[in-house]
Amino acid sequence: MTDFIHIGKKASRPDAPDKAAGKAHYIHDLERPGMLYGKIKFSDHPHARIKHIDTSKAERLTGVRAVITAASTPEIRFGFLRDNLALKKDKVRHYRDEVAAVAAIDPEIAEEAVELIKVEYEPLSGVFSPLEAMEEGCPLIHETDAQGRTRTDNLVPLKFHHQSGDLEAGKQAAKYIAEGEYSTPMVQQCCLGTAGCIAEFDMSSNLTIWAKTQIPFLAQRDFNRALSDMGLPGKNTRVIVPTLGGAFGSGLDTHAYEYIAILLAFETGRPVKIVYTRTEEFANLSPRQSSITKIIQGCDQNGKLTFREVEVLQDNGAYTSWGATYPSVMMMPATSLYRVPHVYFNARLVYTNNTYCQAMRGYGNPEHTWALESNMDELAEEAEIDPFDFRMLNRNHPNETTPMGLKVSTCGLKECLETVARKLDWKKKRKKGKRSGVGMASLIHVGGGGRIYRSDASGLILKLDDFGNANVFHGGVEMGQGLHSVLTLAVAEALGVKPERVIINPTDTGTCPWDVGTHASRGAFMACNAAILAANKLRTKIFELAEEFFPRETEQNLKKFLEQNPGYKPPKFDVKKASRRDRFELRDGFIFIKEGPREPWLQLELGRLLRAVHFRNQGQMLSTEVFYDPPNELPDFEKGLGNISATYAYGTQGAEVEVDTETGEVKILRMVAAHDVGKVLNPMALKGQIYGALAQGVGYALYEELRSQQGKIMNPNFRDYKIPRVQEMNFPVDLEFIETDDSYGPFGAKGVAEPGLVPTAPAIANAIYDAVGVRIRDLPITPEKILAALKNRK
Amino acid sequence: MRRFEYYKPSSLEEAWELKAKIPDSLFIAGGTDVLVSIQNDECRPKALISLRSIPGLAGIEAGDVPRIGALTIIGDILQHPELGRRYPILREAAKSLGSVQIRNVATIGGNLCNASPCADMALPLLVLDAKLRLKTPKETREVPISEFFKGPAETCLSPQEIVTDILLEPPQKNMKTCFMKKGRVKMDLAVASVAVLLEMEGKRCRKARIAAGSVAPTPLRLHKVESVLEDAAISSRTVAKAQQLTEDEIVPITDIRSSEEYRRQITGVLVKRALERALEWSQP
Amino acid sequence: MSKEISFILNGSEVRVAVEGHQRLIDILRGPLGQTGTKEGCGEGECGSCTVIIDGRAVNSCLFPALEAEGKTVITIEGLQETKNELSVIQKSFIEEGAIQCGFCTPGMIMSAKALLDSSPAPSEEEIRDALQGNLCRCTGYVQIIEAVKEAARKLKGKR
Repeated sequence: MTDFIHIGKKASRPDAPDKAAGKAHYIHDLERPGMLYGKIKFSDHPHARIKHIDTSKAERLTGVRAVITAASTPEIRFGFLRDNLALKKDKVRHYRDEVAAVAAIDPEIAEEAVELIKVEYEPLSGVFSPLEAMEEGCPLIHETDAQGRTRTDNLVPLKFHHQSGDLEAGKQAAKYIAEGEYSTPMVQQCCLGTAGCIAEFDMSSNLTIWAKTQIPFLAQRDFNRALSDMGLPGKNTRVIVPTLGGAFGSGLDTHAYEYIAILLAFETGRPVKIVYTRTEEFANLSPRQSSITKIIQGCDQNGKLTFREVEVLQDNGAYTSWGATYPSVMMMPATSLYRVPHVYFNARLVYTNNTYCQAMRGYGNPEHTWALESNMDELAEEAEIDPFDFRMLNRNHPNETTPMGLKVSTCGLKECLETVARKLDWKKKRKKGKRSGVGMASLIHVGGGGRIYRSDASGLILKLDDFGNANVFHGGVEMGQGLHSVLTLAVAEALGVKPERVIINPTDTGTCPWDVGTHASRGAFMACNAAILAANKLRTKIFELAEEFFPRETEQNLKKFLEQNPGYKPPKFDVKKASRRDRFELRDGFIFIKEGPREPWLQLELGRLLRAVHFRNQGQMLSTEVFYDPPNELPDFEKGLGNISATYAYGTQGAEVEVDTETGEVKILRMVAAHDVGKVLNPMALKGQIYGALAQGVGYALYEELRSQQGKIMNPNFRDYKIPRVQEMNFPVDLEFIETDDSYGPFGAKGVAEPGLVPTAPAIANAIYDAVGVRIRDLPITPEKILAALKNRK
Repeated sequence: MRRFEYYKPSSLEEAWELKAKIPDSLFIAGGTDVLVSIQNDECRPKALISLRSIPGLAGIEAGDVPRIGALTIIGDILQHPELGRRYPILREAAKSLGSVQIRNVATIGGNLCNASPCADMALPLLVLDAKLRLKTPKETREVPISEFFKGPAETCLSPQEIVTDILLEPPQKNMKTCFMKKGRVKMDLAVASVAVLLEMEGKRCRKARIAAGSVAPTPLRLHKVESVLEDAAISSRTVAKAQQLTEDEIVPITDIRSSEEYRRQITGVLVKRALERALEWSQP
Repeated sequence: MSKEISFILNGSEVRVAVEGHQRLIDILRGPLGQTGTKEGCGEGECGSCTVIIDGRAVNSCLFPALEAEGKTVITIEGLQETKNELSVIQKSFIEEGAIQCGFCTPGMIMSAKALLDSSPAPSEEEIRDALQGNLCRCTGYVQIIEAVKEAARKLKGKR
């Protein structure tokens, strides 16, 4: 294992000081000259025909500069199935449907104007459950598809399927079987900084948009298409990403409010800012998709898994966003968490008049691992095998290929399981029968990018300036996860400069090379791999140039040194002879000869070399651009085959809980997490990621739920949508990082942004079962459910 | 935020004048409830009349005639050493209310006048048999707190009436009290809450006061439960009976926070545990 | 109808015209240009808007601006020391990894400051109680608690 200077060492984040000072500028803080404030009018019904919209009173309100509806603007279709419109025409399909919008000189006037807009509706029957939506004769949510073809049912035309081995043979070979239906609710990302953007056109009709996005380049593509729809073909969008108040997947799509801001900006000729209030964020933004999973697993008499059969049903809501593709990620644990020879996986999605969903951290993996790992414990009980032993028996090994075709390189699952069992004092604490218990669950997730699109690449420009600074242009998005921090360390380490000399420039499609998006835990993996490639290219150039400049400059150094130290005798060393490109090293911004004497004059400061190279005849500046495309493949999701990632992250979490059998309350006594991370890049940042993800997992397990009744979100605020506070996280969390040193990863590292919340809920549920013998299969595990289950048992 | 006018009268007379002039106005103390209601469009007053600048409305007298000014902020109630010693149940309830930021601004009077069925400060005052002093330009009256609440967000206050003081009985010896609250998480509106007060003479209970929150249209005194405890030698069987009667006496509903069955069951458990804690049969 | 009020903001007197319905956060982020204080919910639940008024931590989203008249207000901008130096609390947050997206950070730091100003040697339970009104979705709070403990240690050393 190499000894790194910066990688793996304690390092604070470069963006932290401004944030601590209140000087970081989020979208909420940004202003543009002449800026107007946009506000949206949402639907009053979950399903209705729009008969008439009267905007006259709103238009007359002093301070209003524009009022738009679908009728007064070009149609903009968006969403990857293109079944969504920026402003709704003819019909509304959910309460959050955007029916009209206003731009005014201040937010209060905009709000007043929205109230003055009168909409006449003809309510239609709403459909609020996927089962209902699949029934014969049920009203259609979408009568036609994006191409105008007639639809005959509410099924979403997306196929996610996998079949490997021989399911029947697997069932025959099973001595023990566990079958269950598990559900997960909608939960909200709950970023502290709400959604928003500022759209501004220049006088050539090119658009700049400051956006809360994780996909600046895909957004640019979508917005360019919108410009084309607006009669501005060939015009360009520049997407700039300011400091974000969290994202957790909510920036992985373009949103109606962004297109509306663009339409308002074009209509008024002025910059328009739209920012969601907290209520709008809860009620009108896309949360995590809910799921119902039927799973049957079987094992032979020795406890080896023989088959796994999975059926997933998802409520797609009124339109299609990325929540619809969760099954593409679900098939990863379904086929590849633990060794199973015969696997069947199928998913269906159905349109309803409920809210529609987008990405959220984990993207289908927490939902599926909830079902799978709960069911593993149930199967272990059937087979009378200890759940830890059961997992060890069926664990994945390094260098194996799974039924989905995932090529597992390094795999730290064994170490993760053993660590958790040891730290929980597993054998001693299991089945104590005194209302306290322990449980565990594992995960697999993509750790080397995730090819869910034609390209999974990431570009990076590394530009050296006259001062020895390394300027970085990278299209990845810093949303608090610490991307800029690890990128700084990676450049510092790979190039050989101090971290303070690394400048990460803002994410901007105008200046940065293309990157597909910061998702699938790919940020650090991509950026740092690209940084290493770029740094190595520059080092080659630097050392080539040093052949000429090193002897000359160090000779001048020696002259000066002798003047200041007259008695000094320099060592016998032929500098000119030793100045060969393969004998140089660059560290902390100084070039020196690797095996040469380390004298203070016998080194060349990088900036000096760069200036010497620059300021001469036919001078040059050193910069380079790389485009890193990881060795993974875009799977065929209808067949469920393809090595989606370059490497895979494993992990195990364990919980010790105590259940109050009179109130049903669950008290977490402690949690343990062991994660296979490849290599720890920034220990403090990595811990922060896991603590934060684990807290989200605890909320998911015990109380988070977006409640919807007849399509209406009933708890669109923090009063009634509870996320963990400091008092809820008042138990010890013991983290251990297993370094498996993956050859595909930068410095051996795997992506770990999402794994922290994937196995948390089933670990807690399994601990609850150990404590009081009740199995809750529907998240969240509320005290109500536990009390009811305890009562039923009697 | 919706537009409204905001007045800061420096006397009760001025406040009453404003109220008479602007009928579509609300008195406001700390504002942590009213401003949220306005934000959520639950009410649209034309004006708010702040009582914060009126002298004499805030303050704690913990002596022989214990009195808490209605505009006393919860944080001050929590930190007043004398008050906390004599009436620990007030401190327990104050501690459970919101967060530090809320407690630094919310007032006891505001909490009562908001009249939520789960008003944290209502329960200890109910079991302490507190009285409220209410003033209008024409009269001053004292109303037992048990007659103050009429329904959710409804009190016996007439439009001009302002609560000025909360009056307490001097604390009795052998007064055993406990306040307990359950939320979905620690900082929450109560899913259910209880306050108990027992005046003991040896093992015998001379006076029992039990109140429950979030399980009726108003904070509720549980008279049936009290009658089984009063003049009884309290044993674990008495406590179990009290638990059972609690479940029968309350009228919880199902709402976004919890279900009827759960509230029924858990309120009984809270009464049991509060009694046990008050009697020091269990440790905090 | 607007009224001019004056109060002490971060050590200096300010005068500003205020309308009846405006909250302190509107005045701070608007005419006074102090955007360090954030609005995360507008309902007193998330604490991102926490400022210190007369020594007490308060949600500025629920504090009527007119009530600020004559008061002493400290916001995150007021913690910065001279010559571009950050305060001990801010440095501790940076050094302990307590900052991720940073949106909750100003409010969190103000709650910590209010605590440490009145309780220089708080127990962990007291720290949790002081931060209970501040939501964070990124950090899971662990490193935030460590940062406050570290700040308390450092400040004790300074006294």
